[in-house]
Amino acid sequence: MKHIAKIMAFLMAVTAVWISLLQTKMIPQSHTWLLPLYFIVSLGCYGLLMVGVGLMQFPTCPQEAVLLQQDVIEAKQFLKHNGVDVGTD
Amino acid sequence: MELADRAVGFILSSISVTIFTYYTFWVIILPFVDKDHFVHNYFLPQEYAILLPVYAGVTLICFLSVFIGYVMLKSKKKKA
Repeated sequence: MKHIAKIMAFLMAVTAVWISLLQTKMIPQSHTWLLPLYFIVSLGCYGLLMVGVGLMQFPTCPQEAVLLQQDVIEAKQFLKHNGVDVGTD
Repeated sequence: MELADRAVGFILSSISVTIFTYYTFWVIILPFVDKDHFVHNYFLPQEYAILLPVYAGVTLICFLSVFIGYVMLKSKKKKA
């Protein structure tokens, strides 16, 4: 519940800043109208960038993969020895 | 395997950086440039800077609702 309150407070603050920018005309009015859309697009871009960077830096642990395959083979042999059907190979 | 992951990640990040710089130029820098500068030929008219993201957002929401509805229908049919 508190998390939603924090998010709503943040959105209210951003809206207040935007309306004050509209009123004081520091930035040309045409720019101010496009600002929310620009921030939404840049947020989407940022998400995509984080996904791309995470994909590029994902560790694959090749040694653990080999050990895992050995564990699987061991388990299959043990279960077959004890009469459990381990499916197709 | 790892190389394919790295390639896809690189393509995604490059696409996002391209879209971000193009959109920044379009919305923020271009209105301050004179009307007969040559760089205006590389950018679509300003109305499209609003239309394209809105259109993409609406398409995304439509696709998401269709997908959710389809999954809900399939689960209901399986139960009955």
